[in-house]
Amino acid sequence: MPLDTSTYGLALLRVDGRRWNELRRIHAQIRTQAAADGSSYLEMGHTKVMCVVTGPSEPGPRRGAAGGAAGGGGGAGGQSKDAEVVVNIVIAGFSSVDRKRRGRGDKRTLEMQSTLANTLAATLHTHLFPHSQINISLHVLSQDGSLLAALINAATLACVDAGIPMTDYVTACTAGSTSTYAANDEGADPLLDLNHQEEQELPGLTVATLGDSDRVVALVCESRVQISRLEGMLAVGVDGCKQVREILDQVIKAQGQKMILEGTVDKGTGLNDMDLD
Amino acid sequence: MASLKRSVESDPLAANISNKIYVRSTKSGKVQKIVREVYLRQDIPCSSKLCQRCFTTAPRDASGKLIPFVLSDSPAGTKVFPQGHYLVPDTNAFLTAMDLFEQESAFYDVIVLQIVLEELRNRSLPLYNRLLSLTKSEDKRFYVFFNEFRLETHVPRLDGETVNDRNDRAVRKAVEWYGEHLARSKGKGKDVPAIVMLSNDRDNLKKAKQEGVNACSLADYVKTLKDGEKLLDMIPETQDSDQIKEKRPGDNLYPEYFSMSKMMTGVKNNLLHQGIFNVSPYNYLEGSIRVPAFPKALLILGRENINRAVDGDLVVVEVLPKDQWKEPSTQVIEEDAITKNENPDAEESDDFVSEKERKALQEEVKRTQSKTTEGHAQPTAKVVGVIKRNWRQYVGHIDQSSVSQSANQGKKQDSVFVIPMDKKIPKIRLRTRQVSELLGKRILVTIDAWDRSSRHPSGHFVRSLGELETKAAETEALLLEYDVQYRPFPKTVLDCLPKEGHDWKVPQNLEDPGWKDRQDLRDLLICSIDPIGCQDIDDALHSRPLPNGNFEVGVHIADVSHFVRPGNAMDAEASIRGTTVYLVDKRIDMLPMLLGTDLCSLKPYVERYAFSVIWEMTPSADIVGSRFTKSVIKSREAFSYEQAQLRVDDSSQQDELTTNIRILLDLSKKLKQKRLDAGALSLSSPEVKVQMESETSDPIDVKTKVHLDTMSLVEEFMLLANTSVARRIHEAFPQTAILRRHGAPPKTNFDDLANQLKVKRGLDLSVESSRALADSLDRCVDEKEPFFNTLVRIMATRCMMSAEYFCSGTQSYPEFRHYGLASEIYTHFTSPIRRYADLMAHRQLAAAIEYEAVHPSTRSRGKLEAVCKNINVRHRNAQLAGRASIAYYVGQALRGKATEEDGFVMKIFSNGFVVLVPKFGIESLIRLRDLAETEPQAEFDAENYVLTTGGSRELRVELFQKVRVRVTDQKDETTGKRGVKMELVRTY
Ligand SMILES: [Zn+2]
Repeated sequence: MPLDTSTYGLALLRVDGRRWNELRRIHAQIRTQAAADGSSYLEMGHTKVMCVVTGPSEPGPRRGAAGGAAGGGGGAGGQSKDAEVVVNIVIAGFSSVDRKRRGRGDKRTLEMQSTLANTLAATLHTHLFPHSQINISLHVLSQDGSLLAALINAATLACVDAGIPMTDYVTACTAGSTSTYAANDEGADPLLDLNHQEEQELPGLTVATLGDSDRVVALVCESRVQISRLEGMLAVGVDGCKQVREILDQVIKAQGQKMILEGTVDKGTGLNDMDLD
Repeated sequence: MASLKRSVESDPLAANISNKIYVRSTKSGKVQKIVREVYLRQDIPCSSKLCQRCFTTAPRDASGKLIPFVLSDSPAGTKVFPQGHYLVPDTNAFLTAMDLFEQESAFYDVIVLQIVLEELRNRSLPLYNRLLSLTKSEDKRFYVFFNEFRLETHVPRLDGETVNDRNDRAVRKAVEWYGEHLARSKGKGKDVPAIVMLSNDRDNLKKAKQEGVNACSLADYVKTLKDGEKLLDMIPETQDSDQIKEKRPGDNLYPEYFSMSKMMTGVKNNLLHQGIFNVSPYNYLEGSIRVPAFPKALLILGRENINRAVDGDLVVVEVLPKDQWKEPSTQVIEEDAITKNENPDAEESDDFVSEKERKALQEEVKRTQSKTTEGHAQPTAKVVGVIKRNWRQYVGHIDQSSVSQSANQGKKQDSVFVIPMDKKIPKIRLRTRQVSELLGKRILVTIDAWDRSSRHPSGHFVRSLGELETKAAETEALLLEYDVQYRPFPKTVLDCLPKEGHDWKVPQNLEDPGWKDRQDLRDLLICSIDPIGCQDIDDALHSRPLPNGNFEVGVHIADVSHFVRPGNAMDAEASIRGTTVYLVDKRIDMLPMLLGTDLCSLKPYVERYAFSVIWEMTPSADIVGSRFTKSVIKSREAFSYEQAQLRVDDSSQQDELTTNIRILLDLSKKLKQKRLDAGALSLSSPEVKVQMESETSDPIDVKTKVHLDTMSLVEEFMLLANTSVARRIHEAFPQTAILRRHGAPPKTNFDDLANQLKVKRGLDLSVESSRALADSLDRCVDEKEPFFNTLVRIMATRCMMSAEYFCSGTQSYPEFRHYGLASEIYTHFTSPIRRYADLMAHRQLAAAIEYEAVHPSTRSRGKLEAVCKNINVRHRNAQLAGRASIAYYVGQALRGKATEEDGFVMKIFSNGFVVLVPKFGIESLIRLRDLAETEPQAEFDAENYVLTTGGSRELRVELFQKVRVRVTDQKDETTGKRGVKMELVRTY
């Protein structure tokens, strides 16, 4: 077994060799499933997720009472003038070390679904699609920390791919702190982009911001942390979100370029304002 | 169709990302494959002050601070490396010789490789923690180099290469890199220090030689140091790597238990034996078991033979062949000391019997074999099965050194060891998610299981009692540890109390049913004599001269059975509690306060119901007649022992009450003499009293109890009452009387003590009868040392059996005998407020004198036997709890003080001795290694009980010797436990 997070102070190195302010390798692709309206695949380290977007489309038959359904619903109901964002997350049994079957009602999954739905509903221009539904389906293939962040990023990419109008990118990442709550260490460094081991051992939060701004659109903290450390963590997290945005932006532009080169889209249709440098 | 490319290949950073894949197996037998990313980098500094390059790329933390470089620019040289050197030890070096690295004389400028730290952590958490604290010390200059994350020193595992080989290669690679790196980047005109790998693994050393890497075995290296000779002792021999190979997980460490039917047949055929397993208080690897087939206890030595039995378990054992018979150990073996470096996580990799344990046992065997007197050998046995576990909840605390540093905030489970308060219980492996919250707390845990594959039993956390050393937590710990029922009485019990509450009075109307068959003794001059502050007064006395020249003497006992009716909720609760428990600062009552301290208590100046025993005695204390009656009394005064003594001694006091007490005192002395003539033993145990600060109830001082004549006055008449009642109830209920017996101790119990007295003082201890024993104890005197006699009595007391309650039908009459009191028959009658046995005796006596009908529950033998069994346990636990409470407060009273006191050596081992300090009533072990900075050599003469030390401290310690010790309280660094510590100042 390798060392744990407590050795950070020895050489300012994290358990996987990163510094405090370094992201893991992020790899992303869009338009992975030609048949879908929008799709993406995203890796943050060993956390690997896939996203498929269908819609906006006619809402399917109502599944149970509002909010009581398995999928997280965001925005207004299908009968109103805003489109409903329905998120469904499937976590593969083989995605974590212990093969674990998660039922539909798994609390953590439900919570992530609703966070995602609410975050996206606020950013997507749902008012343009009254009486319709946007279905976002996510599959978790492998888990190594920062799962919610990876899901948000993948969903953003897939929504862009689906061509759903939105205010700006919603990008997310996690931030943590180098020492535990109990250690009460004032000099703890903030950490960017936690992996699984760090998530298990250290306090952390997930933050999502809008585009290049400092506007936080989602903030989830599930662990105890001293309030004095929160500011540093948040700052690092917001900074990380900007880095993630850069990477996602490049992925989308690269895809756009490729599509133009391959002739998938006609030159000049709606691409004039796209920055192709 | 879009295809998902393998992402890593398309990444420009791919060369710098590696994956670490390892497979681990869990306790439940699952195999997990874990893949972790490793980001390789080139900005990990070498941290040498010589280096000109690394400064520029050195990492900064979030606030921009740089970690200062550690390794000296002019490291010390040795004969072989005059230019100076940095050390790079491998895992094995730290595992085998951590003490060496903590020396002040050498071992500076050490590079600790990440891979070594990792391996060390897996092998021994305590050693890992020690190494970490070394890296934090500024003057030792230990630097942790993360070789696995540095691009140049990262070593991927080759095909077919074992993990150990790869790790060794990684170490050599790092050594090589350091050499090259420093040669390139040092300042001009400076020598490049040699980078020296330290290893005790022959194979690794050989390969290093081949690769041209500087490498030394620990011994070779130490020899080149200035004071090398001294350090050499701390190093084990060089080993081949396969010797230190890890044990495969899943291997069973303990032999399998026999099936129940096999055990039963074995026991029936007398091939196997069944009994209660007991652990020696001084040696956790030695147990004993008493079985009917052998006169002496069978010894069970070593972990494998003990085979997962825990103190108190009912086990089945098989006797080992005669050539394996041994003597009981003369060595102190403490679990804390021997297993302190174990890792609660890495159970699988532990060797079953650790090197140190093996060594400790080896020395034992050597000693036994060199012995010529074979007759001393005791039969040994091994446990082949457990019939019934005696597991309960244990109070303990988490061993600080078993805790990993990432003790975290509540998601990951950690394994830690819990050290139970009871030294005889092995440490318990606990998995918990709240280590950080539980550290430094008293906690309650249970044992769940002890698998064959697990070295230690595993258990789970029950609850926390609070901070260590706080009064509340320690008191509750004590009550739990001795299974004392301390919760408030439930409503159903309180409902059984008289409705009038404190206003209850003896009815004035003599026609009241309460007066039926009660004798009016209100005009007798009755008084009570008790310890100061006693609230639950169960007994009172009177005497008066009779016209015929004889005396009438009465003992009046609180009539508890009038209030506690058999079979009701209060009775049930009292029978479970069994006894009142007295702690230094607290009393846990058997009966609700209202009864105990008011309605039953024979308080002065008020009328109370009583059960009276009245004798007519001649002036020489021969009993002419006796009678028993329920009565109403009015005590004239409640004296303390001291007050009563003063009053008796003051000849100006000539009032009737005082005169009567003088009569009682005179008679009691005669009674005592008669008892002693019959062979009653005067035994002893160190008794002390803790004085409390009255307001804060903090302990301030410890006093030895003073014995007063008035104490024996009360004692004698209580004994007499108990004996008289015993006879009466046995007469009335030959099958079901509740009695108390004290078995004669087996002669072999005294073997050691007799031999010790013979050898050391030329004294003979005869044990044929209690009379002979009493006489020979009287002869054990040392003119120069008055305490010697008490010491021998204390030691003799420990050879005794404990007295027990029993139901008369279960024993034959000769077995009724109370050995210590030299009485044919005995029971407890005089303290019904605080002992349930006495309450039963009251009911039986009331039935015997036809005061009331026999209640079915006081008649059913099965029920009575169960009651006896319970109250025996409760009685013993109450005593132990009381003693533990005193011990705790003695410790608290000594806190922060250091006093020199006289003590006596009462037990001697080959590596230490036990000293009793009578002033505080405490005894403590002084080990050889406590005597001086470095442990002195010692020679132990087991035949003569003499321990002679030489070297760092020269001493001659022998049994019974008077010594001067410094008594302090000390908090154990690793365990966080406070205890009394004794240091030997000098011998007399
Ligand atoms: Zn350097």
